[in-house]
Amino acid sequence: MHTHWHAFTVIFSRDIILVSRCRAELVNPLVFFVVVIALFPFAFGSDAELLKRITAGMIWITALLASTLSLEGIFRSDYEDGSTEQMVLSGYPLTLLVAAKVSAHWCLTGLPLIIIAMLTGFILSLPTQALQALFLTLLLGTPVLSLIGAIAVALTVGLRSGGMLLSLLILPLYMPILIFSMLAVENASAGLPIDAELYFLAGMLVLSITLGPIATAASLRIRLS
Amino acid sequence: MNILNKNQQGNPDLDQAAPFFEVRMLECIRQDVILFQDVHFELQAGELLQIDGVNGSGKSSLLRILAGLMQANSGNVCWQGQKISKCRYEYQRQISYIGHLNGVKNTLTALENLQAMGALAGSKSDITLSDALIQLELTGMDDIPLNRMSAGQKRRIALARLLVTKSKVWLLDEPFTSLDASGKSVIERLIVEHCDRGGITIFATHQPMEIEGCAIRHIHLGKK
Repeated sequence: MHTHWHAFTVIFSRDIILVSRCRAELVNPLVFFVVVIALFPFAFGSDAELLKRITAGMIWITALLASTLSLEGIFRSDYEDGSTEQMVLSGYPLTLLVAAKVSAHWCLTGLPLIIIAMLTGFILSLPTQALQALFLTLLLGTPVLSLIGAIAVALTVGLRSGGMLLSLLILPLYMPILIFSMLAVENASAGLPIDAELYFLAGMLVLSITLGPIATAASLRIRLS
Repeated sequence: MNILNKNQQGNPDLDQAAPFFEVRMLECIRQDVILFQDVHFELQAGELLQIDGVNGSGKSSLLRILAGLMQANSGNVCWQGQKISKCRYEYQRQISYIGHLNGVKNTLTALENLQAMGALAGSKSDITLSDALIQLELTGMDDIPLNRMSAGQKRRIALARLLVTKSKVWLLDEPFTSLDASGKSVIERLIVEHCDRGGITIFATHQPMEIEGCAIRHIHLGKK
């Protein structure tokens, strides 16, 4: 057990170092997020009422797209330089190592994304209850996006037209998360309780933590053989 | 498939032991073309096997099957009498596979790469990482990221896996690619030492090989 935990931390810290040495990977999704959010008011004009109604939704959708964008590269360099082969052959469960990779990825892209999302929500003057609900749904939802997305990324890694296939594969799977998150924000703005939506999201998170890495590891093995 | 036993070692101590490594009737089909059929061989502790054959004859595929990365279309690979699919993790802790991809990270330094290799290895050797670098003639390159090294130096870092792990089976796919003469002789020395310790080495290369102090068995893939 102890050695398994050690293997997890080795991959986790290795990936943290790798991404921190390659700043573009860290900054690109955030820049994408800010630019897209900044475009919305141009498209919809200065109607404050309308903007207030759609702000939470556009923040969530943009966060979802930014997360998909950054997720695309999570296994690419490992696949191209042969590190994936060595991970498969390391004698540790691939599920565990994949889980380490996904968690490192979420810590470096998901967390900053949540912070930026909060900031933009604040600047676009979301009411406090909505902002709170947005924070909670992003906190529960973005790890699910990473865990589910990783399965599809593992399936398409190394394919030439992988990007297109990837969005076709994962965006439908993201829909429940988006729907329940938006419901939560809407209810919170109306002063209603949001427990049900949060429990659903938490349930999805538990489900994807338990099953996601297993499926991702299996997909990687298929890609290698 | 013909197996040529060139001066096979007659080690009397090992003759009665069960074969360490056994391959039976292996067949591999890629894109509806039979790459190889009926490949079979047995290896005892301390033996060295070269897989040769022309380009595209399935050397790499055979090594990937032996490592358990790929499934053969039929046939078995057995390790100490057990199919490797039945004892995957125990088997993988006993092997070091170095494919034509180096499996090292370009943005990490030499030392960081070795640390990650050692930490993920099933069985670690007691050599220190800087000793491993010295043995591979990379003294003083500890803190240099790999993207500032030459192809040959990167290959040496990849081959350092053999030093920082203590595997019984080495599976090497074209190990000498981009190595210079001295790099080649370092690796040859490592292979001889490994065989003396009772380890098995299976390597694929299409070049004729002679290693001093070690008899090489051959298996030929493809048409003669």
